[in-house]
Amino acid sequence: MELFVPDREFMYSGHVACPGCGAAIAMRFVLKALGEKIIMIIPACCWSIIAGPYPMSTLRVPVLHTAFETGGSVASGIKAALEVRGDHETTVVTWAGDGGTFDIGFQALSGAVERNEDFIYICYDNEAYMNTGIQRSSSTPYGAWTTTTPGQDWKKMRKKNIVEALVAHRIRYAATANIAFPEDLINKVKKAKNMKGSRFIHIFSTCPTGWRVPSEMSIKIARMAVQTNIFPLYEVENGVEYTINYRPKGYLVKEYFKLQGRFSHLTEEDLDQIQEMVEEDWKLLLRKTGVFSGS
Amino acid sequence: MKNSNRSNMCVPLLIPRSYKTSEENKTGSWRFLRPRYLEKTAPCSSVCPVGQDIPRIQMLTVQGSFKEAWELLLSENPFPGTCGRVCFHPCESACNRLEFDEAVAIRMIERFLADTATRYELQPRLNKLAKKGKKVAIIGSGPGGLSAAYFLALLGYSCDVFESSNKPGGMLRWAIPFYRLPLKVLEEEIARIESLGVRIFCNHHVEFEKFKHLRSNYDAIFVSCGYQKGRRLNIPGEESPGVEDGLTFLRELKSDPSSPSLHGSVAVIGGGNTAIDVARSVLRCGAKPVIVYRRRKEDMRAFGEEIKMALDEGVRIEELKSPLKIEKKESGVILTLQKMKVAGIDESGRAAIEPDNTDPEIVSYDRVFVAIGTEPSEPWYVCDSCSGKDIKLYNSVMRFDGQFPVIFGGDLTTEAKTVTNAIASGKEAAMALDVLFRIGKDFVLPEISRCRVGNGLSVSMEIYLNGERKNRVSHVVSYAEINTDYFNLIPRTPQPRLLREERINSFSEIDLKISGSVAMKEAGRCFNCGICNHCDNCYLFCPEIAVKRQDSEEGGLRAINYDYCKGCGLCVVECPRNAMVLEEESA
Amino acid sequence: MKTVMEGSHAVAEAVKLARVQVISAYPITPQTHIVERLSEYCADGSLDAKFLRVESEHSAMAALIGASSTGVRTFTATSSQGLALMHELLHWASGARLPIVMAEVNRAMAPGWNIWTDQTDSLSQRDTGWVQIYCEDGQEALDRTLQAFKLAESVNLPAMVILDAFFLSHTYEPVDIPDQAKVDEFLPPYEPKFLLDPGNPCAFNQLAPPDVYMEMRFSIQTAMESAIGVLEKIQNDFSEIFDRSYGSIEPVECDDADIILVTSGTVTSTCREVIKKLRSDGEKVGLLKISLFRPFPGEAVRKVLSRTRKVAVVDRNCSFGSGGIFAQEIRSALCNVPDHPLVYGYVAGLGGRDITPELLEDIYWQTKNTDFPELDSFWMGIREVKDGIICSGS
Repeated sequence: MELFVPDREFMYSGHVACPGCGAAIAMRFVLKALGEKIIMIIPACCWSIIAGPYPMSTLRVPVLHTAFETGGSVASGIKAALEVRGDHETTVVTWAGDGGTFDIGFQALSGAVERNEDFIYICYDNEAYMNTGIQRSSSTPYGAWTTTTPGQDWKKMRKKNIVEALVAHRIRYAATANIAFPEDLINKVKKAKNMKGSRFIHIFSTCPTGWRVPSEMSIKIARMAVQTNIFPLYEVENGVEYTINYRPKGYLVKEYFKLQGRFSHLTEEDLDQIQEMVEEDWKLLLRKTGVFSGS
Repeated sequence: MKNSNRSNMCVPLLIPRSYKTSEENKTGSWRFLRPRYLEKTAPCSSVCPVGQDIPRIQMLTVQGSFKEAWELLLSENPFPGTCGRVCFHPCESACNRLEFDEAVAIRMIERFLADTATRYELQPRLNKLAKKGKKVAIIGSGPGGLSAAYFLALLGYSCDVFESSNKPGGMLRWAIPFYRLPLKVLEEEIARIESLGVRIFCNHHVEFEKFKHLRSNYDAIFVSCGYQKGRRLNIPGEESPGVEDGLTFLRELKSDPSSPSLHGSVAVIGGGNTAIDVARSVLRCGAKPVIVYRRRKEDMRAFGEEIKMALDEGVRIEELKSPLKIEKKESGVILTLQKMKVAGIDESGRAAIEPDNTDPEIVSYDRVFVAIGTEPSEPWYVCDSCSGKDIKLYNSVMRFDGQFPVIFGGDLTTEAKTVTNAIASGKEAAMALDVLFRIGKDFVLPEISRCRVGNGLSVSMEIYLNGERKNRVSHVVSYAEINTDYFNLIPRTPQPRLLREERINSFSEIDLKISGSVAMKEAGRCFNCGICNHCDNCYLFCPEIAVKRQDSEEGGLRAINYDYCKGCGLCVVECPRNAMVLEEESA
Repeated sequence: MKTVMEGSHAVAEAVKLARVQVISAYPITPQTHIVERLSEYCADGSLDAKFLRVESEHSAMAALIGASSTGVRTFTATSSQGLALMHELLHWASGARLPIVMAEVNRAMAPGWNIWTDQTDSLSQRDTGWVQIYCEDGQEALDRTLQAFKLAESVNLPAMVILDAFFLSHTYEPVDIPDQAKVDEFLPPYEPKFLLDPGNPCAFNQLAPPDVYMEMRFSIQTAMESAIGVLEKIQNDFSEIFDRSYGSIEPVECDDADIILVTSGTVTSTCREVIKKLRSDGEKVGLLKISLFRPFPGEAVRKVLSRTRKVAVVDRNCSFGSGGIFAQEIRSALCNVPDHPLVYGYVAGLGGRDITPELLEDIYWQTKNTDFPELDSFWMGIREVKDGIICSGS
């Protein structure tokens, strides 16, 4: 299987991510696509720690670690400064987790996107506040266990659809991506790099520790999320033009849920209900693309 | 830093700022499981009688390295062009891809590689060892004998082959019709064997009694004279004119294609490949063949493909009919047939039959050919397990009295009586003799076992000569161990063939050739079970960037930097073809 | 150029003269006139800067942290709720040693909504590592803004220039706007000591474990302490170029005073009049104006106050459960001086309530006529109220 993946690495070994960490894989691919003429902003998230303590850094690009909710706002400031200094080439990239994107960082992200700030915002989504110990975020999927939604109190709210929320801003470019589909991910990042205005990429990143899965299953599970339509791969340009990038095999969602400890409490009825919810969402997405699904 | 006089101190501006990479943090210490490259055996290789390294051949074909792939074929089998046409391809039945969509067309690709080499007049680089000064006599120039000659010559021995008929090749020349195996292909492959210095003496019949004199002129004898004699029906009227042995008919046809003048309706009694070959040849000679078989069609020992093609060409099969007697007529014969019925299933899985209650049928035929099986023309080999002189190998038997080794191979000793098994026995015999001469009798069995491929009955010359392949473990990769996420459903390339009308009018080869791009595409369907084909998934998905693209000590094509590997196991799971293994970290 | 303008506009003038490069602000009364004027300057090109219209004060400070880290001169302005919202990032800006300058318009903290002057908002941020300078009038607001840039960029600490809501921000006063050329001489272009640069990549503000963090904090403390001396020098340079002198504190008739009033902000102007009047009545009273609050100029304060007998600190703020904050700082500064004066603390004028000359005189007389301060802070002018929920058992 031939993949076109650029050769150069922009990340060093020796970082402290958990074995099998999806976020580490995601960063590696994204940096390969972006190259080194970037400034990266990392608000509080797992990567604040993965990048290594003072005086080490695992990334070969300039990084500004910032406060949790400032992903969108710090990027705006950096971009303004670069423009003032006459640098119109360096790409400003925010690299945030789901907490700093969906919840506490949503305001700054929304503000930046509304102003059409010229930067790329990349959210690597491990579906909970993993860095602080697996607490629930608005990105946690329906049905999941977390430390703040334990036992019978499992999350009964749907996962917030961040891409749709940003599409409502008429964002220049928003796309979903997945670590198990590296070529698609790299193409999207490259495409985003060559655009101006606010660009958002939502990367599905398995967390073996928080999802209670063996570390070697990170990629398989990420792939399953796409194959079951739980995490479709699509992109939206200018808030109106939807393109679905991959026609999944349509596996049943229970195949995906069975593999993960964080869903082990769900009953057959729960799974059937979730199957319906996923199909409903998928049909809605198809309608937005202007495709009518016969099945 | 001192506290006194602080306001006048010039204290450096100290902020959290990195100036080192994280590489001094050797995260390899976290590991409790360790991945490594470990190539394993593919099921196709394991069932292939000659133990071909099929996944690697497919890989080389995909890369366009046709010559290298062909040379790999030749390292285990001197007859790729032949086997690429007539082998019963157990590899395709064992192919893991069968469970995914359809088996890879392995035989078609083998033929493509051989034909491409022929077309471009390529000269192979063969691994020929220095002369060892010993001579071996080989009886029978069929696939078994010629294969033994080939491998012995490569190992450095002088070989003389004694053939009773007037041309070499055995069943390949005399039994398999041209529409399956063109003469040119066979002669070219025999010529290649002769070019190694092998001498073939035709018209040299060696009888069982007489071969004792060979002992004084040679250091060993390999006997593979095959099953030449047709078995008899043992029914009244078998000697009538118009009733002939099927194999003899085929032989005559090969010697002089214009010779037999057949017409009318011809019965072929039997259910094996020979019966089918006779029937289809009869068809091409202008007569109407009818196969008469005592069991059911599905019990016929002939290859399924062959039966299908025979039916397609218009051969009729009369099943569950057993001949009772044959009587002569003025022109032709009368066959009395008893209808049979199924009375259960015997140990081989075939129908057990008994006569049913109807009256026998009387049918006239212009000719009858008998093709119910063969046996050796002389009692060459009788199994002698009690004497302790016999060393039973996978496809051959070595009889060594302490002084002079005689090896029996080919149809005499193989379990399945096929061309490829005969070739395998020749290779095995060559290896066994080499071990015997170099180190001694006690090492023959262990050495042959060492060279076993997977869990089948084949041995690999590459392993014997300590090639790269020796690093592969014999674990046979199953379908469950393949990560099929990386493959899409692609239908198998159909074998292009002559149209029916074109086929039945001549003995031209039925299967047509394929182009290089088609071959590469079909070879691309191969999962390459158990070997590394540099897909780079391990390199791609390693979160620690601990997989390096360079040769490793273990013989794979990648290396793991254990300073940083945390043992997460992603490389092992994402390897689509199970070329890696995850083991506990030793303390 | 002499003109008459609002305090807010004076600050905006200073920002323009300082050739700030990135401004990011969120509106809040009574800071709005600063940012509106700056918006106009950016729009008409008289100020060549990027103006980010962020969606909250927190984002405003975050954007400046980003911009300043990329090596440009930055500015924002805010007030009360907005400053409180920024609180997390005020710590961040000083921890990251970024020379951000902010105009802070002192306004009362809600609830109840109160847009008038009160110092509690800025003083609640006194621990965040920002330089704090309190301005008395429009001219000082302009001049201190220029000085703040120079100071911030010398010691690599952020600085806030503080104005009273309405009494300073919206009051028209005579202001002398300096020449651009002279300002350029005083304040050269910003040269960052570190910055985000793809050509020289490194990471900033990453994990700092216990064995390294304390030294970083020590570095901040020493920078703060050195800021006192650095500001002195800057004030001298300023005076040479612009012919206006400032001190981190300003004593008025303190040499022989028995009682010294301590004030900050616009109250100082009122107090100057009160001192004149009391002196003419024969009272030996003096006034100490505090401009620089962080770093606290303890040495200078001790020099002025140790000789007197009583100190009356006027606080337009309160740290609940303790008392007026200026009073606490003064007491701390004096407590190790042998025979130090008594410190009387007075809380007055919260939420924009007027501090009149009469009230200041009352403070003087109360101080003079009591032997000992019974309370840490005496709240001036508290009225009886009839509303209020009666709590049982209280």
